[in-house]
Amino acid sequence: MRVKVKNLTKRFGEVTAVNSLTAEFESGKLIALLGPSGCGKTTMLNMLSGILPVTEGQIFFDEKDVTDLTPDKREVGLVFQNYALYPHMTVLENICFPLKIKKVSKAERIERAKEFAKMVHIEEYLNRKPKELSGGQQQRVAIARALVKNPKLLLLDEPLSNLDAKLRVEMREEIRRIQRESGVTTFFVTHDQEEASAISDYIMLMKLGEMQQYDKTRNLYNQPANLFVADFIGSPTINQLHGVYTKGGIKVDGDNQIIKTNHKWQVEEGSRVVLASRAEAITFNDKDDVKTKVVESYLSGKDTLVNLKIGSYNLRGYIDATKPIKIGDNLNIGFKTEGVFLFDELTGERYYE
Amino acid sequence: MSKFKRVKKYKSDEKVTAKTFLKPAIYLLPFILGILVFTVYPFFNAVAISFKEDYKVISDTFSGWGLGNYQKIFSDPTFIKAIINTTQYVLVVVSISLVISILIAVMLNSVEKLQGLFQTAYFMPMVTSSAAIGLVWRWLFNYDYGILNYLLSLFDVDAINFLNNPQYSMISLCIYGVWSMLPFTIILLLAGLQNIDPQYYTAAKVDGAKTIDIFFNITVPLLAPTIGLVAIVNMISSFKVFDALYMLFGGKPGPAYNLYTVIFYLYEQFYTKLKLGYAAASAIVLFAIILLFTMVQNRIQKKYDYY
Repeated sequence: MRVKVKNLTKRFGEVTAVNSLTAEFESGKLIALLGPSGCGKTTMLNMLSGILPVTEGQIFFDEKDVTDLTPDKREVGLVFQNYALYPHMTVLENICFPLKIKKVSKAERIERAKEFAKMVHIEEYLNRKPKELSGGQQQRVAIARALVKNPKLLLLDEPLSNLDAKLRVEMREEIRRIQRESGVTTFFVTHDQEEASAISDYIMLMKLGEMQQYDKTRNLYNQPANLFVADFIGSPTINQLHGVYTKGGIKVDGDNQIIKTNHKWQVEEGSRVVLASRAEAITFNDKDDVKTKVVESYLSGKDTLVNLKIGSYNLRGYIDATKPIKIGDNLNIGFKTEGVFLFDELTGERYYE
Repeated sequence: MSKFKRVKKYKSDEKVTAKTFLKPAIYLLPFILGILVFTVYPFFNAVAISFKEDYKVISDTFSGWGLGNYQKIFSDPTFIKAIINTTQYVLVVVSISLVISILIAVMLNSVEKLQGLFQTAYFMPMVTSSAAIGLVWRWLFNYDYGILNYLLSLFDVDAINFLNNPQYSMISLCIYGVWSMLPFTIILLLAGLQNIDPQYYTAAKVDGAKTIDIFFNITVPLLAPTIGLVAIVNMISSFKVFDALYMLFGGKPGPAYNLYTVIFYLYEQFYTKLKLGYAAASAIVLFAIILLFTMVQNRIQKKYDYY
């Protein structure tokens, strides 16, 4: 099912949690609502589910306006952050519950519940109570309970935050698999950019209630719309050199050289800018001429991650581990075309070529 | 997941010496002393007296040990009637007051404004003197001027002589009993309700559950541990029903001495007839009955430990 939101706004008293958000979400995809805490991502999810009434704007499921419908009429499945499994019911009863409410016959609801229990790999635990399950198992039950009513939309609220690191990686792949198998349009909320990048088809990145970028997951990394997106996505964090755009290059604060890259940015002379570069976009070729000093180096697999100083800023890059690196060395670097961006320092807007 | 984790039992690493034992012992002493004098000693003394034949309280003499007191009370039709009356009263009052209290507590819990005011209002009877309340109820039940009969007259029901007709005296006692049990029950249930994570209600709503579905499928089962606790406490207290009876019928066990309860029987044997042996034996019988009910309750209760 396609989801469309138009000027969606939610205010809690004076605070605007989501501010006039307009977007269209493709059917059958796994979409991450990503952002730091307080950015409005959970509010957004709760408005999609119908738990939270909308202050302004509209929500469409396909062509139907569902803005004023209650959760049960929207046909959504919701997985809560702490799963909210009914503690007095067994796993089977939990999964059956939405069907029981719909007055589906007992034989049929057990059959359907078992089918979904199998899909999420919990068929051995049907007679257990939630307290007898591990976090990962509880989460699978919660997903099965959300899916059993054949929702048109599956909503997951920080589904992995209660799991330990190893299980988190395992479960995010499970969510991906379950989403592919069921084909249901799925939204999931997370504050972990790595998690979002790993499994989602699309990411909507939010900050203080405003949408920063909504795009295919890859594009957020390769083509960030602004400095916030560039900074939020990717590990290690993107390198940021603040300075002035002068004579067709960037003069970094605290440094005298003018860095020239082979981009043709449309920037006014004298503008305050931020030169942002992915660690893998830093080159260490013989003809490279940007002078830096080595501050620190860490071994990272076949490469060495070097921390370099240029003016008042630090910069990280990956260098071949066979090259001898000493702290305090002078090292010349260059910038690739890909993975290097220029932003306005004040607004964070990106300068395009 | 649960907010209340069981406290694990840890042994202190500190060695118990005379010195480390003494300090906490002194702190505990006043309490232990009170319990010993007013609870433990009287209990064992009552057990002893119940087995003493021909016990005379003034001279503190008895003719020997035996089951005479028990034989005597069990062959007394008044005592048998008292046990039946008391059991009836307990079953009716505890169950009806529970149902009413659950409904009121759920309603109170869903009220957002003025919840504090309503809670206080429902709690008032608990902190009011039972003598005053008894007096008020005597007026409410009054044959000629009582408001209950006035309300019944609105439905064309003939006036009922609640207090003086032996046929209705049990009903009157139960009405009063249910009413007086409500505040405590409601407050405990309200506390239980407030311990239920509201997320379960949200989850159920997303699953399409209506208010009535939520009540029976979520609220009542999750409240079951509290309901069980309240049932035990109420059962114990209503087995000891006495002051309601004394107050409503002006010191008599019902208008025609038809409404003996175990405690009223005990009271009469003790104060009026000075038969301490019979009084003690009936106390022990009541103790045994309450113990039995509590044990059964506890057994059932174990099934509802979800967290």
